[in-house]
Amino acid sequence: MANKDVLLSVKDLTVEYTSEGEVIHAVNHVSFELEKGKTIGLVGETGAGKTSIARAILRILPEPPARVPGGEIEFEGKDLLKVSEADMQKIRGKEISMIFQDPMTALNPIMRVGEQIAEVIKLHEHCSRQESIEKAKKMLEMVGIPGERFYEYPHQFSGGMKQRVVIAMALACSPTLLLADEPTTALDVTIQAQVLDMINDLKRKLNTSMIMITHDLGIVAEVCDTVAVIYAGEIMEYGTREQIFHDPRYPYTIGLFGSLPDLNSDVERLSPIEGLPPNPADLPRGCAFHPRCPYAGEECRKEHIELKDIGGGHLCRCCRLNEIAAGKAKEV
Amino acid sequence: MANPMIEVRHLKKYFNTPKGTLHAVDDISFKIEKGKTMGVVGESGCGKSTLGRTIIHLLESTDGQIFLDGKDITHVDKHQMHEINERMQIVFQDPYSSLNPRQTVEDVIREPLKLSKRYKTRAEIDQKTDELMKLVGIDERLRHAYPHELDGGRRQRVGIARALSLNPDFIVCDEPVSALDVSIQAQVLNLLQDLQEKQGLTYMFVTHDLSVVRHISDDICVMYLGQLVETSPAKELFIKPLHPYTKALLSAIPSTDIDHPHERIKLQGEITSPVDPKPGCRFAARCPYAAEACRQPQQLEEILPDHYISCCRARELNKDIL
Repeated sequence: MANKDVLLSVKDLTVEYTSEGEVIHAVNHVSFELEKGKTIGLVGETGAGKTSIARAILRILPEPPARVPGGEIEFEGKDLLKVSEADMQKIRGKEISMIFQDPMTALNPIMRVGEQIAEVIKLHEHCSRQESIEKAKKMLEMVGIPGERFYEYPHQFSGGMKQRVVIAMALACSPTLLLADEPTTALDVTIQAQVLDMINDLKRKLNTSMIMITHDLGIVAEVCDTVAVIYAGEIMEYGTREQIFHDPRYPYTIGLFGSLPDLNSDVERLSPIEGLPPNPADLPRGCAFHPRCPYAGEECRKEHIELKDIGGGHLCRCCRLNEIAAGKAKEV
Repeated sequence: MANPMIEVRHLKKYFNTPKGTLHAVDDISFKIEKGKTMGVVGESGCGKSTLGRTIIHLLESTDGQIFLDGKDITHVDKHQMHEINERMQIVFQDPYSSLNPRQTVEDVIREPLKLSKRYKTRAEIDQKTDELMKLVGIDERLRHAYPHELDGGRRQRVGIARALSLNPDFIVCDEPVSALDVSIQAQVLNLLQDLQEKQGLTYMFVTHDLSVVRHISDDICVMYLGQLVETSPAKELFIKPLHPYTKALLSAIPSTDIDHPHERIKLQGEITSPVDPKPGCRFAARCPYAAEACRQPQQLEEILPDHYISCCRARELNKDIL
């Protein structure tokens, strides 16, 4: 991986929350790299730790109760966990920005939408008020909202338009890294399609790298180059989009595909993953997925399992791949 | 359809708002056969939830007729209402807000049993409660748990047990899995299918998730701004969508098939206002094929067997597949 053009490199990132004396292990030793202009998808269920990873990168975790006891986040040669808060403020919104999940709460309800975009521009580009207003209007137009709606308030916009405002704000200073946290979950499908197309276009134009956090495998298929499947705060499987979609190996990933009703084929019954995600304050010993795993064996309960390369950079944290492959063969 | 469990004819539900009359459900007719599932899809604000709620009399209809098992139940007195409530139930979207936070699992399930006159003694009620909990797969140890102690999937199971408590014939499932993670969503969908098989339930399944609706439904209605734009057997709708809106809606679903990316039909603009709408096709403002004739009121027309659409240009636009 040495000669790739790596923009962001996360190593051994750990995030904990302390609540009523209990330590909640939200993110456990997560490592990944992201190249310039590429998109990585972080996929997992509610509470898997996806959002905590993004917030740790931007250093906007609520501390306390959150704490980052270890790890490195290397971004353009700097370790973001070590830079001063003043420097971090210069990075936030300029070099790295975030699209939040819920456009209804991400905007200030008593501030004109245009002003909210202009504020970011003025802060980071040190330009005059007039220039920032001009640029904010341009940004609005870029996301398909007429510039004259600059002076309106969030409540005058529909959900899809609010999300586009949030995106315009995130892209206002042409960041090199965009963190998109479920950017379309609150939207209807036709509006979601518009927003995804727009993000893809803008990414291409500005050569922005992106971390796409989602639980929707369809969205991953449409926008991501590489995929990390997160379960109980750990990367369980990592690979290119093709590796994950054509040849999912980790039982949880396989289970996720089995849980999805398919638009193109007829299954009478879905095959859901039985049980529930583990309590992050009390993770099971060994593999965190073993209590729900249909292939779990003795060794899965004993010790922590390492992420192994199973060919071509496809990583998987499982010690029973042979048994699973045999099980697959049986089903066919 | 010989034996519809539910039939609505020209059903309308209008709301008076300060801005004018909001046409939430506008002249909708369909039938749901006994033991089958009718999926209702559409974007937020298209009136799909209002339709479900109007059918089961949570909302009073403005005009039109509703039939349950062949009997006109549009206008009923208090006594008949009681009977209707036992035969028609609803599972709500949000398992976080549809359960009373101060009632335990047992309280929630028992409440309908206590209100009904069917169960005379406490022992009978207890027995039925046990049965229901077993039926929907809630552990006995959760009997005295409060909703905040349960995860979303279990809460939704409690909501389902409550809906089933009086052995209804018809259940409106209003986005019952939208708030759940995929792995849990699949568990709940399977449960709903099993219950339908065991008890011969008839469902109206309201959702915006098209892959879920295809999976669970026998027939599907597509709604746009209070109107029915297309209705067809479920599988056929996905193979041969005929209305321009249905086509755009289907093409917008992100597909997990990375080898065959599909062409997306881009819709301009957003859903318009259902307040005092103009006559004519309501989708015309966003429709790439809109023409002069689309300003006239549209008729629902059977173009293929059991496949109805309301679009005056349907035949001409679908020449090659009809």
